Amino acid sequence: MLYGALLGLSLISCTKDFDQINTDPNNITVITQRELPFMFAKAQSSAAMNRSFYQTVQNLGADLYAQYFALTTNSFSTDRYLLTPDWQRRFWTVVYVDTAPQLKSIMDNTEVGSGEGALANIMWVYAFHRLTDHFGPIPYFAAAEARDVIPYDPMDKIYSDFFTRLTIAVDQLKALPAGTTVFQDYDLMYNGNVENWIRFANSMRLRLALRISKIDPIKARAEAEAAVAAGVMESNGQNATMLKSLSGNDTNGLSQVAVWNEFSMSSTIASYLKGYEDPRLGIYFQPSLTGKAFNSVRNGATATDLGQPRNQSRANSNVGTYWVRYNGEVLEGNFTQNFHIMCAAESFMLRAEGALNGWNMDGTARTLYEQGIRLSMAQWGVNDESIINNYVSSTHKPKAPGDYHNSVAVAQTPVKWGSIEAEQREQIGVQKWLAIYPNGMEAWAEYRRTGYPKMYTVLKSDNPDLPGGTFIKRLPYPLTEVTDNLAELTKGRALLGGADNAATKLWWDVD
Amino acid sequence: MIARIDSKRLFFLGLLSCFLFFYIGRVQAQQVARTGKVTSATDQKPLAGVTVLNLSTQLAGHTDQDGNFSIKAAAGDRLKFSLIGYKSAELPVTTATALTVSLTQENFTIDEVVVTALGIKRETRGLTYATQQISSSAVNDARDNSGNIMSSLTGKVAGAVITTASSGPGASARVVLRGNKSISGNNNALIVVDGVPYDNSSAQQATGTTYNYGTSDGAANINPDDVESINVLKGPSAAALYGSRAANGAILITTKQGKTGRYTIDYNGSAFFDQVNLLTQFQNTYGRGNGGVSGSNIGESWGPQAQTYKNNVKDFYENSATFNNSISTYGGTEKLQGYVSYANNKIGGIIPGNALKRNSLNLRVNTAFIPKLKTDVKLNYVNQKIDNRPRLGDMGIPVEAYIIPRDMDKNELLDYETIDPNTGQPLRKYWSGSAIYDNPYWSTNRTSVNEVRDRITALGSATYQLTDWLSIMGRYSFDKYLDNTDGSFFASTVSVGDVRKGGKYYEINARYQESNLDFLVNGKNPLTERLAITYNLGASALRRKYSSFQNMANGLSIPNEFSLKMATTPEFLAIAGYERRLNSIYASAQFAFDNTIFLDMTARNDWTSTLKAPHSYFYPSIGLSAIVNELLHMPSWVTFGKIRASYTQVGNDADPYLLRQLYSFGLGAGNGFISRSPIKAIPDLKPELTKSFEAGLDMKFFENRLGFDLTLYKSNTVNQLLFLGLPMASGYSRQYINAGDIENGGFELQLTATPIKRERFSWETSLNLSANTNKIIALHDKTKRANITDNNRYATVVVNEGEKYGDLYGYAWKRDQQSGKFMVDDNGLPLVEANQKLGNFNPKALLGWSNSFSYRRFTLNTLVDARIGGEIVSGTSAYLAAFGVADYTTMYREGGLILDAVDLNGAANTKAISAQQLWTSVSQNGRDGWGEFFTYDMTNVRLRELSIAYRFDLKKMAAFKNAQLSLTGRNLFFFYRGKSKLDIPGIGKTNNPIDPEAALGAGNYQGVEVGLPPAVRTFGVNLKLTF
Repeated sequence: MLYGALLGLSLISCTKDFDQINTDPNNITVITQRELPFMFAKAQSSAAMNRSFYQTVQNLGADLYAQYFALTTNSFSTDRYLLTPDWQRRFWTVVYVDTAPQLKSIMDNTEVGSGEGALANIMWVYAFHRLTDHFGPIPYFAAAEARDVIPYDPMDKIYSDFFTRLTIAVDQLKALPAGTTVFQDYDLMYNGNVENWIRFANSMRLRLALRISKIDPIKARAEAEAAVAAGVMESNGQNATMLKSLSGNDTNGLSQVAVWNEFSMSSTIASYLKGYEDPRLGIYFQPSLTGKAFNSVRNGATATDLGQPRNQSRANSNVGTYWVRYNGEVLEGNFTQNFHIMCAAESFMLRAEGALNGWNMDGTARTLYEQGIRLSMAQWGVNDESIINNYVSSTHKPKAPGDYHNSVAVAQTPVKWGSIEAEQREQIGVQKWLAIYPNGMEAWAEYRRTGYPKMYTVLKSDNPDLPGGTFIKRLPYPLTEVTDNLAELTKGRALLGGADNAATKLWWDVD
Repeated sequence: MIARIDSKRLFFLGLLSCFLFFYIGRVQAQQVARTGKVTSATDQKPLAGVTVLNLSTQLAGHTDQDGNFSIKAAAGDRLKFSLIGYKSAELPVTTATALTVSLTQENFTIDEVVVTALGIKRETRGLTYATQQISSSAVNDARDNSGNIMSSLTGKVAGAVITTASSGPGASARVVLRGNKSISGNNNALIVVDGVPYDNSSAQQATGTTYNYGTSDGAANINPDDVESINVLKGPSAAALYGSRAANGAILITTKQGKTGRYTIDYNGSAFFDQVNLLTQFQNTYGRGNGGVSGSNIGESWGPQAQTYKNNVKDFYENSATFNNSISTYGGTEKLQGYVSYANNKIGGIIPGNALKRNSLNLRVNTAFIPKLKTDVKLNYVNQKIDNRPRLGDMGIPVEAYIIPRDMDKNELLDYETIDPNTGQPLRKYWSGSAIYDNPYWSTNRTSVNEVRDRITALGSATYQLTDWLSIMGRYSFDKYLDNTDGSFFASTVSVGDVRKGGKYYEINARYQESNLDFLVNGKNPLTERLAITYNLGASALRRKYSSFQNMANGLSIPNEFSLKMATTPEFLAIAGYERRLNSIYASAQFAFDNTIFLDMTARNDWTSTLKAPHSYFYPSIGLSAIVNELLHMPSWVTFGKIRASYTQVGNDADPYLLRQLYSFGLGAGNGFISRSPIKAIPDLKPELTKSFEAGLDMKFFENRLGFDLTLYKSNTVNQLLFLGLPMASGYSRQYINAGDIENGGFELQLTATPIKRERFSWETSLNLSANTNKIIALHDKTKRANITDNNRYATVVVNEGEKYGDLYGYAWKRDQQSGKFMVDDNGLPLVEANQKLGNFNPKALLGWSNSFSYRRFTLNTLVDARIGGEIVSGTSAYLAAFGVADYTTMYREGGLILDAVDLNGAANTKAISAQQLWTSVSQNGRDGWGEFFTYDMTNVRLRELSIAYRFDLKKMAAFKNAQLSLTGRNLFFFYRGKSKLDIPGIGKTNNPIDPEAALGAGNYQGVEVGLPPAVRTFGVNLKLTF
């Protein structure tokens, strides 16, 4: 027995296996080339937001501020501009925690000039431009570095870096041997097709160039012309869409929230689509469950208004059958439909606007505008030439959407190319907004920059910073920055140049 | 391979070991002059190891294996015979040559002897630290309806803050002794059953950000009927022997075992009845609608005046019944003793369908067949089912019930589904367009989460008496349980988020295993006539292993056929597991001088797999106590007096897998994803260290009629494993660091008195009073604040440098800096400021007062307990306000409330608002309510227990050895209950809608609740029979 005790003692101080025991069998601790494609896919899915984040970050935010949708429930108050602070944090989680570290791992673990590094940089710009366009100055140049303090950077420097990254990435991709694919089956957007990635990167460069066209017209022109020269998206086959899956919460976010049916077509988009007799009306939206009509709700309805039968979700139009179907009893989501990232029609509209600015966009404003409309129709399966021709030459104007509030028509612009530049700019704005549906993030950013399309003011603002008649301009910084990065946040707020609230305009938002 | 220990520790350990062994060889018996024999009064067997002390000469000796002793003594000298577990005896030496002494066995629960660490019985007089002995009736008589033995201790242990999760039968309980010490780690006391730590972990705690199903814990598996006694070690003094897990104190449970010569059958049966005790006050004037206008599909009760239904929420909850039946039989011979028990508990919950069913079987055999070898084998099996675990929190079932419109009658409520003509299956029906809430009747009938646990604990130990002063014990124990949880959700359910076509079904399989191999050498020797030493030298190897995974079928091919085989997209989720090992050696020595002054020293070295090489850390303790009434001259009415002091260090390892950065694989589009963990690894992780000092005074007067036991303590926990926020832009949401210094200090006072002690009537009373103060001396040079969890709904629970553990921060009503008045916006509605201190969840003081009155065969027991101070932020309250159902929302329905406040320019507010404007604004739809408006004082005083027992006259009932019938009640009423902290001008203070001690879970996230069910009151009858 004493021997047993001694044996026990010697066993007890044995720690030979301890390091191995303390290695998690269900996780990976060393990143090699083998893991990078999986990390790229994670970054892609996260940047575009899976269903967990889509609702609170995009659907209950930018999608409402772009007035594609309006809330039919009183459970959320963001449609009345009363923000839910925790949701700001979620957008930061999406970009900084779920996207950036994976991209940085790829950049750090691939050779300079590699296709993998190039794709990572393109996704980086995609993720960060959406974030900075929501908040303004953000921590950028030191993002994804394991530091206790991360400084904020001004938007002009961030935008400048976007252009640099996209330019270099495109050059690197162009230098790859013909037929090279990058990340292949792991790439959820283009299956590794380098040509498509080049066009996506250039299109984004064009988008960002237009964004700064008021604040920095010289750089804007240079970047836009270079982007077009290097090849932007020209056909729907080059559109960026993202593969989705039933597994791992990776469903199409819009399909998911559409099942919950807490929002409907906004009266703003109803006024345009109905007035134009737009063939996309029945594709973007579907008839109401009760009454079977294309009905809409105004943004910012009060609780009392939302209690009216006419404003109930079942009495109004949900998004189209691409995302959700009604089987007569319940809504069933098409959860694995590809998620739309960017389309060729947007490039044409951007070029049309550039052409109006006098830039070399390889076409006239009018032809680019009309080509954009045609591409958008084709993208959504509208292929009847006569219908499209009629639409392009239509003089129909937006009309009263026929909502509970008896709203009058939201604007007076027809589809048919106008004769004066101001109208042409508005038309491009309206048709781009219609073409990029349901990308509320881009639509809200462009609305803030251009003021187009014209929108209804929200019926009621519960946000004292945004009095009646005004529109929301940005989102305040998340509270976690107060607790975890206060000193830098304070400097970041100074860079913002206004109060850290929803009324302060961003750098590129100038009149 | 022997791990490297640094030289200082080696030196200390070596010194202690040498010290112990140096003397062992030197022990010699005294020359005989007088001889005699000591036997047991019960069975006349010889008693070995009895200390024989000549009080005149102070020479001492011991009896041998046959009970014989010899000691030098002159006629007329007085000899004192003492042995642990027996009453001491004193005899004068007469001229007779051989003395015969018989000692009477002491009942174990008498406070002279307690079971301390590793099952070692020690006299309390020698202990250098505070313990509190609790009798088994404390957990047996008036049982808490959670069925958790820890909950039944509420108010009975001085200084224990016991918080029971409000998740119904099987709920977990948080037991914090002497304050919270760890920010990210465990603060619960260790539970030890028969000398072996008993796993008390619970699944991850609810934080209220979304719905959750509460958690059960290990203590909920203990059958109260098997408990013989409970001893609470409040400080970390036991840690030297139990290791780090005892840093928060330990609750030592001794279970029953067979005894020689007594064959007994015990029956204990009880029936309890629970009813809703405290349901918030609703308004009963207004019905569905908004702005005083009725509307269709509206969930809120902001409509016009209507016919309301006062009890529509109350009627949703059931009066539930609980039945406990247990039978045990035990007895034995000198060589073989056995104990067998079976218990069946069925505890009903107030939420329909919710119940716990527990069967436990306990078998224990002690043998002494081979001379000097004793064995102890125990086998315990528990099968515990919890049916329809209630969904709590935001979107939980209680929230669904609280927000029932006031004008909705039961018939309308029961109309919770329609039949889908396509499938013939039920479809959810709800009164509003909400995609967040279901009808609570749909939730209880069409969703269910059930849990089954099978747990086996086994223990085998053998003790060999090498010599009369040295024994060696070897022990192996294991504790293993399998948890199976299944969840079924009918198609169209919305309240649990994503339920896909056909419905959702899942199974979670979790498996936990812990084994412990121990060797322990026990010895005791008189070093000189006046100095004796008791010592232990031990080693142990602890292994813990956990694994779990979830099989998910979200989307069922045949609607509402709840089987994994029906999955349209089968998926494994949440695959997790760990293994960890801890090897230890430890030593302790107690020197007893004249059996009146005691010096205790312990030392322990641990090697853990969760820290980096060399994996090792060391911690010592030292304690001193003295029996003052024997040392000093004291008045005769002082029966007993002891002072004690001790200093202890306890090291603590961390969770597994923190050292290396983790990257995890997850399913998703394409081939799946790999992502870096949002938690930054800590490669240079150090063990936490708690340094604790305590001093105490234990006095008894007037032949034990009056007594007190006072303990003062202070502890500092340094090198905390903190879970700190990093700027999110770093790519990490949180990081682990070692930093900080948390100080706890306070006192525990137990007063006991027997004011009346007559033949027919007696009155015993005892009072527990304790207070703990906490201070965060330091956190980290880079951050002065750590969040206890990420959740920031209603309030964030934080630790701020310079302040106290558990501060609650959230939105507060903005005050004008000059006038101090509340501020309003242009609409006359409150303006708020984020990140303001709202309170702290810890009570300032606890008080428990129990009384026992005996008259003839009747005994009346009462327990009143008070919790003083502390705040809770109630999300439930925000919901009640948001939906216009709380009683106070009747004021200013028509408008006209001008808040006594100033606007942004400092001018007096003139804007009138309505109740709906005010409450919907501050409650933020109920889901994100502004904390200060819903913060309540947790102070409460309640009648916790009341029981009347009658002992039958056994002369008339010869078949019984004991028979008792009692009527009990628990949580009967409040003497006082704190109100809201905020006094809203024009409205006043409001009542807390929930039990102030209600909790979402038993983890460190306290002080914030949402969606808890109402508290219950319990009545019952209990019958105890002994054959």
